[in-house]
Amino acid sequence: MTEPILRLHGVEQIYTSRNAAGSGWSTVRAVDGVDLDVREGETLAVVGESGSGKSTLAKLLLMLNRPTAGEVRFRGRPLAALGPADRQAYRRQVQAVFQDPASSLNPRMTVARMLGFIVRRHDLAPPAEVRAFLARQLAAVGLDPPESYLDRYPHQLSGGQQQRIAIARAMMLRPAIIIADEPLSSLDVSVQAQVLDLMRDLHQATNVGFVIISHDLGAMEAIADRTAVMYRGRIVEIGGAIYARPCHPYTRLLLEARLSLDPRRGRIRAMSAAARPEAVAAAAGGCRFRGRCAYAVDICARAEPALRTVGTDGTLAACHRAEEVGAEPIAI
Amino acid sequence: MNASPVLLDVRDLKVHLRVGPVLVKAIDGVDFQVRHGECVGIVGESGSGKSTMARAVTRLMPNVAIGELSGRLTFDGRDILGMPDAELRRLRRGRGFSMIFQDPLGYLNPTQRIGRQIGEALARDAGAGADQARIRTLLDEVGLPDPANIARRYPHELSGGQRQRVMIAIALASDPQLLFADEPTTALDATVQLQVLQTLYRLHRERNMAMAIITHDLGVVAELCDRVYVMRAGKVVESAETVTLFENPAHDYSRRLIELSTRRHTRGAGA
Repeated sequence: MTEPILRLHGVEQIYTSRNAAGSGWSTVRAVDGVDLDVREGETLAVVGESGSGKSTLAKLLLMLNRPTAGEVRFRGRPLAALGPADRQAYRRQVQAVFQDPASSLNPRMTVARMLGFIVRRHDLAPPAEVRAFLARQLAAVGLDPPESYLDRYPHQLSGGQQQRIAIARAMMLRPAIIIADEPLSSLDVSVQAQVLDLMRDLHQATNVGFVIISHDLGAMEAIADRTAVMYRGRIVEIGGAIYARPCHPYTRLLLEARLSLDPRRGRIRAMSAAARPEAVAAAAGGCRFRGRCAYAVDICARAEPALRTVGTDGTLAACHRAEEVGAEPIAI
Repeated sequence: MNASPVLLDVRDLKVHLRVGPVLVKAIDGVDFQVRHGECVGIVGESGSGKSTMARAVTRLMPNVAIGELSGRLTFDGRDILGMPDAELRRLRRGRGFSMIFQDPLGYLNPTQRIGRQIGEALARDAGAGADQARIRTLLDEVGLPDPANIARRYPHELSGGQRQRVMIAIALASDPQLLFADEPTTALDATVQLQVLQTLYRLHRERNMAMAIITHDLGVVAELCDRVYVMRAGKVVESAETVTLFENPAHDYSRRLIELSTRRHTRGAGA
């Protein structure tokens, strides 16, 4: 196999802040020991609930954060060791798209002016041809006719159009990979489908890879080659078949929490009043998920499970009972 | 299916808003009914007017923004549009309608304890001791463990799911016949969403309380609602029993929404 484009080894990100009383410090282990390879040209989804550390992971990949411990490598070279020229190359190769396009676009600049800066900074086109160059970029993200968007301000665009501009901005530098943090969650379902189709088309046309951070398993199932599931700062499962055969109880819980679209099978109507208890605070040691886990046994309190290969489809899961969990059908 | 008498009856509702020099027809001639004890969904994309409708019907619209507000709006046989404010307040405080919103943190007072905020919504007849007991009963009813402890806390000390349960407790304090829920679980994680929806459905059944759920998520409709209205650009494009809508949508727009959602929830349709 070729070398991964991005490789995380033992990465930790610890945030420190004043505690509520102001008398001491409290720490949050947002990312708590992550090993991850991102392959050239793949679409990797990172899913999990709020607070699982998935956005922090995106910041680490974008070099917006410096990890507290561990190492991020880009094509084999540690990010911490990159010189200024290499760092700029990295910035060209690894681009970002954010959740809320309205706040990631400058409200006081037209599209042409905003994107024109990037063209000049990176010398992408001769000055006389900037507008024609930009028009081609907008056409590539499905804005038609492209010229009509160049002189608009962000507030004159719909949410979907704004997100297309943000994607055009990321694509302009011909990146090898785009890190997208919740690129769909502020968009309507019909627009989400269009943006997903656009990402798929761009991947086919240019082999650009994506790391998509999302809480929406439905959308990720439709687009991702592989999916990593994060829970409290760790990857608890990663693979290409986790939607059909989840091997970690948390993945299973997330999948089973999806709402049915068949009113005859709606589970909430059918369900008795008993609901699953809310998250229990993790006791020290052992598996961090065991407080919510239906499969927990004695060993889960003693030993924190490491990611390991389960089955033959390349899935890795961090669960002592992953084989049993993977063998059960999904209740929905 | 549900043959109970009509509780909320909206006819030809128009809400036109003044946005600067422009008049926006946010609601443009909508008919809408909720029967006693029924759960109705209002589904649509952003800008369809679904939230505006809920606010107009519950008279929570700021008057300054309204260019035109017309139609016939009756709740339990009483006219709401022309109702004096004092009478409206009585209706909200006792056996009338309540509303919960997407973002509970925006509607809870950050400087007051939870118990006090629920107490404010209680009818002012019983003594303080009785209030404390009722507050604890409400917190227990919405599924919060250790109600006495929760009542002493501030909003920022609770999780998103707990806050939404507190909002529901406040809405239930007036013992409403109709609960409007505007995107009640959109801000919540999937596992918490499922729990809060279960709680809403249980309360709907136990109290025989009618619900109108405003959502962009067809999954919420399929799981909870008896009937559904599909809104687009200020109009209702289709209203149907939920099963009929999903199995035999009459309007192209409904069909498209269902198809797009199904494509994502591949498992919901197949397996």
